[in-house]
Amino acid sequence: MPDPSAGLIALAQHGDADALGALYDQHHEALFRYTWLKVGDRQLAEDLTGDVFARMLAALPRYRPMQATFRAWLYRIAHNLIVDHYRREGNHVSVPLQQAESQSGEAMTLHNTLEQKLAVEQLRAALESLEPTQREVVALRFLSGLSLQETAVVMGKTEAAIKALQHRGLSTLRLAFAKE
Amino acid sequence: MDDTQELLQERLARLENGESLESCLTGLSEGEAELLRTALLLRNVDYPTRPASVVAAQRAKLLQIAKQKKPMPSNKRWMFPLAFSGAAALALIACLGLALAGLFWLRQTPGQVVANPHTALLAEVRGDVRVQQNGAWEKVKAGQAITAGQRLRTGGLSSATLIFYDQSRAHLGPNTELSVDRLDARTTGPRTIQLTQQTGETDHTVAHSGNPTSIYEVRTPSGSGVAKGTAFHVSVAASLLVRFNVDEGAVAVTNLNVTVIVIAGQTTTIPNGGVPGEPAFRISGEGEVLAIGETWNIAGQTFNTDANTLIIGNPQVGDWVAVEGHLLADGTRVADTIILLRRAPENKFVFTGKVDAIGDEVWVIADREVRVDELTTIDEGIEVGDAVEVIGGIAQDGTFWASAISLLDETGSPFEFTGVVEEIADLGWTISGIAIAIDDQTKIGEGIEVGEVVKVEGHIRDDGTWLAEEIKLAEEEDRAFEITGEVESIGPWRVAGTEFETEAATEIDDGLTVGDRVKVEGRILEDGRWVADEIRRLDQEDEHRFEFVGEVSSIDPWVVSGIALTVSEDAAIEEGIAVGDFVRVKGKILPDGTWVAEVITRLDNQAGCVEITTIVTRVGDGQAVLMDGQTITLSGGVQVEGEVKTAAVVRVRICIADDGTIVIVSITVIYQLETLPTATPTPEVTPTPTPAPTVTLAPTTSSEGDKATVCHKPNGKNPHTITISRSALGAHLAHGDTLGPCP
Repeated sequence: MPDPSAGLIALAQHGDADALGALYDQHHEALFRYTWLKVGDRQLAEDLTGDVFARMLAALPRYRPMQATFRAWLYRIAHNLIVDHYRREGNHVSVPLQQAESQSGEAMTLHNTLEQKLAVEQLRAALESLEPTQREVVALRFLSGLSLQETAVVMGKTEAAIKALQHRGLSTLRLAFAKE
Repeated sequence: MDDTQELLQERLARLENGESLESCLTGLSEGEAELLRTALLLRNVDYPTRPASVVAAQRAKLLQIAKQKKPMPSNKRWMFPLAFSGAAALALIACLGLALAGLFWLRQTPGQVVANPHTALLAEVRGDVRVQQNGAWEKVKAGQAITAGQRLRTGGLSSATLIFYDQSRAHLGPNTELSVDRLDARTTGPRTIQLTQQTGETDHTVAHSGNPTSIYEVRTPSGSGVAKGTAFHVSVAASLLVRFNVDEGAVAVTNLNVTVIVIAGQTTTIPNGGVPGEPAFRISGEGEVLAIGETWNIAGQTFNTDANTLIIGNPQVGDWVAVEGHLLADGTRVADTIILLRRAPENKFVFTGKVDAIGDEVWVIADREVRVDELTTIDEGIEVGDAVEVIGGIAQDGTFWASAISLLDETGSPFEFTGVVEEIADLGWTISGIAIAIDDQTKIGEGIEVGEVVKVEGHIRDDGTWLAEEIKLAEEEDRAFEITGEVESIGPWRVAGTEFETEAATEIDDGLTVGDRVKVEGRILEDGRWVADEIRRLDQEDEHRFEFVGEVSSIDPWVVSGIALTVSEDAAIEEGIAVGDFVRVKGKILPDGTWVAEVITRLDNQAGCVEITTIVTRVGDGQAVLMDGQTITLSGGVQVEGEVKTAAVVRVRICIADDGTIVIVSITVIYQLETLPTATPTPEVTPTPTPAPTVTLAPTTSSEGDKATVCHKPNGKNPHTITISRSALGAHLAHGDTLGPCP
């Protein structure tokens, strides 16, 4: 399937400001959510989102549509930036599950939450119950909407591995929601 | 593969394609249904929206940076005529300016302050850069002022940028000589910048001058180029073949009183003692070599070669190359440069293990027979029981042929890199800023002098000193580095006392921290920066690793290139691999000799893409006819950007699909000419006292008039669209007008 951003990317690679702006408009919101869920700090997520686009701009001439969709490539940059951030900081910022539970108030069940929106705090608390690679797959597949293939590219794994991780991740999340 | 995982993915895919939840739940067990509901729940999160003011500011900043650091066009990759270290190296060099933009995100880069119009500031000095003073070549420093009459020279892996008072810039690539002949870069009144390029590669970004008599000229042994407010690249080969590539605006190129106007996207070549060739649109791309000879086939496209074609790295059929060339009026593609990017991956292997037996023709390493011959490089002193690394190729019959067997030093930290010799002393050398110790065992190539590019191999000793085992003049393919040692710092990265950079594509093992022992592989860029491609944690010393590429001969059990593999339960195996596919296998060798595969991935069999810039000569019935007569259907998956009309200058991207068919991927309109350009006679060698510019645009089969539309910028102000006679086009372009209507 052709990359829906292909035309914009080609123009942006040739310095078209409108195309670059359009790419930003298309991706900034979802990218911000992804970084926010990963780092747990809103201001830091804002900064990292800006950094992702700056790095995207720097790397744009090297982007090759053959190797990955633009979205997968962009999230690969984000993934690497966040990993770099944690390395620099030397620790992992996260909200403990117990704390998040107290934030989220009363327990929920899967069926009744389908009728309402899931709060970010609830989501972050639930994600903490996952192994890092499962959490990454869940964030990319279901929170950022990447395809199986794109997620495999971002994480440098095979599609078969992503299928296994998403199955295990959803199973763990289901139990986490049930506990609540 | 677990069936439940497949089932979940199948239902998720249906959900993503718009099927209702109820429909997707049909036939699922309650447990599987809960998983699907969980996935749906995750997509229904109540995210707070980002403040509009933050988004607007961030977006504006992005566009501002992009405007300040306009993307370097793809031809810039040819600034440095070397390769092999990888496509990424070339691409990274090509976008150096943008990388700097990224580094200074949210910190706007101020303009460089140049003292006065009669001096230029030397900036971005990397490696061995010298200026000729009083007949001697002396090393320069960043920030040094350069005046008219001085000559600059860069060595291998070296570069520098001259910044003029009006903020015009001239960037010198490696092995380049450039003299500043006249310099008065005033911002009001007539500007005069006159340079002579004796050899090498330069890039020029010329600030716009409103004065019609301003001049920015680059002279070469085979002609000169005059520009105003434009960006262009000049290459002077050892044969004195000169090439001008224009990225923005137009450049008037002259030799022997013949002038051609080269517009954005075009190139012209001047042979030694000849006149400028007819400007032609450029072609660039990369892909697999399908045929070689006088006519090459790269990524499904044929390219003629001639005596001027530069071929680097001796590419063979199956190898992956980058190609840059030009399109003749009759549609013939001519390759100007073909550079080997990487060898065909088939049947290469590398593994480590203990030597079990040593024979004249066959060794046994990690229970595997490995053939050696007179071409095999074998470290001295290897004995049975030693740990070694073996690199080689797998023959069609499954035989392992070793090209190198190296002794693994399990206590030291081996290093290998290529750099510029900065100092030579009895006890130690300085190479690219690194102090290298030598002893009586160090092998040193003959005749190495300061300023030359060398490859160094050795070990980092316990006291932290780098001891060279061998120093030799570098070959083209040597411009890479490999370090093994402890991580000393992560921001910035430093391993074994050496700092290097990472980039978005750098593969870094998860969870690395200071103190971990790692192996770093990367590239040394022409500007001297070290960029890591991979940072890998070293495994336990008693665990030996392997990696190879081969053909799958069986899947149950797994046999690849004759090697029986044990596949662990958690192995990551790409879906859909079949017998006969080429795969890459990574894993470990157990003490009992078992080869355990951890990752098996199918090789990408994309054959590559090329981009061609050309003119549309006719449009109708959903089809566009190009200058070379080729007809393209503007539908069916072809990405079309802009309105494709007659006389549109377009960039066409052509790729080879997995099944071998050639596919037009996209057509992007770059700009629109008012009418199709008319053919002009080939420039003739006709010396005249005052050469009249000869406008030579791509010829056409149509004759839709002799008018052209330009954006007229009198004195650089009040631009407005005018239609002029095509005979006047050259003069208009030369004083700063641009083709097509004003934006």
